[in-house]
Amino acid sequence: MTTPSPILSVRHLTTRFRTDRGIVTAIDDVSFDLYPGETLGIVGESGCGKTVTSKSIMRLLPERTTIIDPSSQIMFEGTNLATADDRTMRRIRGDRIAMIFQEPMTSLNPVFTIGWQLDEALKYHTDLGRAARRSRAIEMLKLVEIPNAERRVDEYPHQLSGGMRQRVMIGMALCCEPDVLIADEPTTALDVTIQAQILALMENLRKRLNTAIILITHNLGVVAQVCDRVAVMYAGRVIEVGGVRRIFHDPQHPYTRALLDSIPKAGRKEHGKRLPTIEGIVPSLFDLPKGCRFADRCARCQPLCRDTEPELLPAEGVGESHLKRCHFPLSQAAPVTSASHAAMTSSPGARP
Amino acid sequence: MIAAFKRLKASRGVGKFCRNRLAVAALGIIVLYALVGGWVALGDLLPGRAGITYAQVEQPVWPTPINGFGIPATNERRVEAARIITREVKRAVNNGEGFTDIRYGLLHILPGTADSDSELDRLSTLIEESEDLYDQLSEFDDLNSPEPPTLDDGAPDPDSIDVPSTIARLEGAVRQMFAPLSGWQSLKQSLLHSLGTDRQGRSNFLRVIFSIKVALQVGIVVAIISVLVGTFLGAAAAYFGGWVDHAVVWLYSTLSSMPELILLAVLVYAFSGSVFDKVSNPWLALVPVYAAMCMEFWIGPCRVIRGETLKLKELEYVQAATAIGFGRFYILLKHVIPNTVHLMFINFSLLFIAAIKFEVVLSFLGLGVKVGPSWGRMIQESTQEVINGIFWQIGAATVFMFVLVLAFNIVSDALQDAFDPKHVG
Amino acid sequence: MWSYVARRLLYSIPVYLGIILIMMGALRLRDPVSAYLGKNATAETALLKKASMGLDRPFLPIGIEDPAEPFGIEPIVEVGRVGFYPPLRTQYVEFLWRILRFDFGTAERPYRSWQFESDNVGAKLADAVWPTLKITIPALVLTATIAILVGLLSAAYRGSVLDKTLMVLVVLGMSISVVVFIVLGQVFGSSWLNGKLGFELFASNGYEPGIQNWVKYCALPVIIGVVVGMGYDARFYRAVMVEETSRDYITTAVAKGAPRHKIIFVHMLKNAMIPVITRIMITIPFLITGSIVMEYQFRIPGMGKLLIDAIVNKDFPIIQTFTAVLAGLFILTNILTDVLYALVDPRVRLA
Repeated sequence: MTTPSPILSVRHLTTRFRTDRGIVTAIDDVSFDLYPGETLGIVGESGCGKTVTSKSIMRLLPERTTIIDPSSQIMFEGTNLATADDRTMRRIRGDRIAMIFQEPMTSLNPVFTIGWQLDEALKYHTDLGRAARRSRAIEMLKLVEIPNAERRVDEYPHQLSGGMRQRVMIGMALCCEPDVLIADEPTTALDVTIQAQILALMENLRKRLNTAIILITHNLGVVAQVCDRVAVMYAGRVIEVGGVRRIFHDPQHPYTRALLDSIPKAGRKEHGKRLPTIEGIVPSLFDLPKGCRFADRCARCQPLCRDTEPELLPAEGVGESHLKRCHFPLSQAAPVTSASHAAMTSSPGARP
Repeated sequence: MIAAFKRLKASRGVGKFCRNRLAVAALGIIVLYALVGGWVALGDLLPGRAGITYAQVEQPVWPTPINGFGIPATNERRVEAARIITREVKRAVNNGEGFTDIRYGLLHILPGTADSDSELDRLSTLIEESEDLYDQLSEFDDLNSPEPPTLDDGAPDPDSIDVPSTIARLEGAVRQMFAPLSGWQSLKQSLLHSLGTDRQGRSNFLRVIFSIKVALQVGIVVAIISVLVGTFLGAAAAYFGGWVDHAVVWLYSTLSSMPELILLAVLVYAFSGSVFDKVSNPWLALVPVYAAMCMEFWIGPCRVIRGETLKLKELEYVQAATAIGFGRFYILLKHVIPNTVHLMFINFSLLFIAAIKFEVVLSFLGLGVKVGPSWGRMIQESTQEVINGIFWQIGAATVFMFVLVLAFNIVSDALQDAFDPKHVG
Repeated sequence: MWSYVARRLLYSIPVYLGIILIMMGALRLRDPVSAYLGKNATAETALLKKASMGLDRPFLPIGIEDPAEPFGIEPIVEVGRVGFYPPLRTQYVEFLWRILRFDFGTAERPYRSWQFESDNVGAKLADAVWPTLKITIPALVLTATIAILVGLLSAAYRGSVLDKTLMVLVVLGMSISVVVFIVLGQVFGSSWLNGKLGFELFASNGYEPGIQNWVKYCALPVIIGVVVGMGYDARFYRAVMVEETSRDYITTAVAKGAPRHKIIFVHMLKNAMIPVITRIMITIPFLITGSIVMEYQFRIPGMGKLLIDAIVNKDFPIIQTFTAVLAGLFILTNILTDVLYALVDPRVRLA
C-alpha cells in the first residue's frame, strides 16, 4: 500500500433491523479501509451482510426499521456518514460516493428517459446549464461505450438490454466523478460475456478517473480479476481482510479456504472428483452462537472456538495488511483432536 | 373437497391468520352475529317460542318515541305517554263489549283478567288517579324546566306540587294498570327500550336485531351462489379454454360494462315481476334482490379464479394428472378447484360485505327490502327523524351494521394477508 | 397509437352489443306495459303503449312464430315454424339503430317517456346530464387530488402516528354505509350548520340551474361525496405509494442524492400514475353510483334521480334508453383508460 491515508474508513459498523421477531443485528462490528484508486472486494455467501454494509455506508436502508449503532464510524473526508444529517448525505450521495446496483432491469426508473436520469444527478451536484448537462450526459454514455449515444439518450430503459442498462447505471454513477464507487453485485444479473465487458469497463474507468471501488460480489473469480484487496464476510462479520494475492494464496480463515476450494478450476488435478462444498448452513441471525460464528461448520473447530469469538487480528508475520478473525488460522498447524478429526472425515458440518 | 379443507387447515396461511389476534376477534364477532341471526330466524319456524317474528317488530313498545342509548326522556314525553295510555285504557274499560288487548312490548293488560269486576274497579281507580295527577301537571307551561308558580307578591306558592315526584307517581299509577313483570321480563322490556323507538314507538333494538337476520340472509345467499357460480365458470373457462373461455370472458366483460348499482337497480326492477310482489313470505320477497346481486357479483370471483386456474393448469401435478389420463372434468373438480379454496374464502368475505352494503343502498332507494325492517330501511325511515334531531334509529342501524362490516373488513384483510401475499391494499 | 385506439374500439363492439342485448332482454322479463299500467288499464291503452315502444314486434330477427299471437309481420323465410323477420323492424336492431344515430325523439318523430307524456326521452336525458356533471366532476377532481396527497404523505411517513391514525379512520369510515354519510351530512350540513351560521349556506335539498346557485345546491353533495370517496381512494393510493417506495429505482434516486420531495413528487408519482389513472377511471362509475343516492336524497334532477324515479314509476322507455347510453359511456371511459395508460407508461406505448 503506497497511499497511506484511506479515503473511506469504516470502523465498528453495526446495523440492526427491527423485525416482527424482534431486533436483529445484520452486520456486527464491520471495519475496513478503502484507499484512493483501489478496488476492494467484499465477498461472502448471500445473507452475510455485504449489501447491508454497502447500503449502510450510503445510508440507503429504510430509516423506520434500521438502527445504525451510535458507536459506528464511517469516516469520509472528515465526516462521519453514520451520524451525518440528511443534507450532508444528499450532498455526498451521487457526487462524492456513488453506487450501482445488482438489478439493472429495475434500478432505472421506467418512465423517464435515460438522458433525464443522467441529467438528474448532474442537476443536483453541478452548476452546469441544461445544454452542458445534456452534452455531459451524452459524453458519459460514450464513455461507458454505448453506441449511438446521441440517440440513446432520449430512449427509455425498456428499450435497452440488461448490459446496456448496467452501462447506463455506471455512467450515471460516474457522471459527477465520485471518489468512491460502491458496486453491489453489478454483474450478477448479466450474461457471462456481458459480465466480462462490464468488469473491464469498470476497471478501465477506475484507472481513468482514479475512483476507489468497493465491489460487492459472491463471485471469487470476479474478485481475482479486478480487486486489489478483499474483505471476506460471514454471518454479519468481517472474518478476513487482505491483499487479493495473499487471500487467494495464503488464506488464514478456514471459511476463506473453503470458499476458494469451491471454485471450479480448469485443469484441476483431482479432475473427476466432486467439487468440495461447505456443509451446513449459515447460522440464523436471530440465534447466533456464542463463540465463532463459523464454528458449527468448521473442520478445525475447538472448544475455545465455541466459547469465545475471536478478534479481527493481524495474521502472523504479515502485519496490519492481512487481518483474520480466527483462533486457529491455517498458517498454524492444525490442532487435531479426536472430535474434529471425526467431524472432518465423516461429515464435515455435522454437529458433534 | 374435504381433503382440500384439510390441506387448507394445515397450510401456513391458517397459522398466519390465527396469529392475527384482531382477525380472530373479528371472526368471533361474526360468529356472534351469525348466532343472533340464526336465533332470530327461528321466529319463522317456531313463532312465539323462539326468535322474532315479523308481527313482533311492527308492534309499538311505547306510545311515544323514546330516546335511546341511555339518554333520559323529557318530562313532557313521559307525561304524554302516561296520558295516552290512560286514555286508551279508559276507552277499553268503557267499551263495554269486552276488554281489548293493550300491549306495549311485554307490558300488557290481558283481556281475560280485565273482564272481572274487581279488576275493572281497580283499573278505574288508577285511571282516576292518573287523570288527577295529569291535571295537576298540566298547570305547568313548560314541564321540562318547570318554574314553580308564584303568588301575587312573587313568593313561591306553598300549594305548588313538586314536578318530578308527581311525574313519578303518574308513571307508577300507569304502570300498575299493566300486569306486573317478573325480573327477567322487566330486563327484556328495558332492552326493548334501550335503543329508543322510532316515530311509531316501535323498538329500535328489536328491529335492529331482526335486521341482522335479513343482512346475513342476503349476504350468505348472494355470496355463496356468486362464489360457486363464479368459481365454476372461472375455473372452467381457464381450464377448457377455447370457446368456453371466450364465452365466459365476453359475458363478464359485458356485465361489468355497467356501473354496479345501476345494473342492480335495473335487474331488481326486471326480476320483481308480479310473482314476487304478491308473496307474503318475506324470504321469497327478496328473490329479485338475490337474483340481481348474484348476476352482478359472480364476476369478481370468476375473474380471480380464472387467473389462478390459468396458473394451476401449467403446474406439474395437473399436467401429471392429464398425462395419467384422468378425465378433464375430474381433474377440474378434483385438482384445480380445490386449490382455489383460499380464493373462494377471500371472495366470499368480500362479497358478503358488498351484498350487505348494496342491500342497504337498494333498500334506501326503495328497491330492496320491502317487507319488514332491514338496516337500509331503518336508515331510510330515519331520514324523517334526523331533521328533528332524533338519531336513535339511524344510530342503532349504523352501529350494528358498522360492527359487522368492520369485522368482515378485518377478516378479509387478514385472509388476503395470510393467503394472497401478492395482494396490495 | 391510433391503430391501438381503433383496435380497442373494435373489441368493445361485441361487449356493447352484448350489454344491450342482456339489458333489453332483462327489461322484458316482465311485461313492461302491464307493470306500468297495472291491471285496470283497458286493452286499447295497453296496445297503444306497446306500439309506442315497438313491444308488439319481435325482439330478435330470429324468433319462433307463435300462431296464437301473431306478430303482424310476415316472416321473409319460413323454415318450419322458425321465421326470419326484417331485422330493422325488430326491437333489438331498431333500438341499436336509434342509439347509433343518437335519436331519442325529435319534434317530428317523438320517442316519449311513458310517465311524462309530453317529453321526449332524449330531452329528459339531456336535461339530467348537467346537474349530474355539476356534482360528479368536482367530486372526482377533489377526491382524487386529496386522496393522492393523503396517500403520498401516508406512505412517505409510513408507520408514523399520522399514518396510523389516517388508516384507522379510513377503515372505520369504510365500514359505515354511504347512505349514512349522506343522511347525516345532509342534516348537519344544511339545517344544523345554517342554524349555527344564521343564514342558509347550503340548501337541504332541491336544485336550480345556473352556476351562481352551485354553492347552495351542489356544494354539500360534493363535500359528502369527497368524504365518502376519500376513504377507499386514500387507502388504495397509500398501498400503491408504499409499493413504490420499495422499488429499486427509488433507491437509485436516493443514491443519486435526490431530495425527498423530488423522490416523492417526481420519481414515485409519475410511476404511480399508472395505477392512479386506472383507479380514477374505475372510480367514475362509483361516482355515478354515489351520485344516484346523493341525487335521490338531495332531490337533484340528475341522471341518478331520473333513473330511480323511472324504475319506481316503471317508466320503461327511460330505463331502457338510460341503461344503453350509460353502458356506452362506461365502455368509452374504459377505452380512454387504456389510452391514458399508453400515454403515461412508455412500456405500453405502441407503435
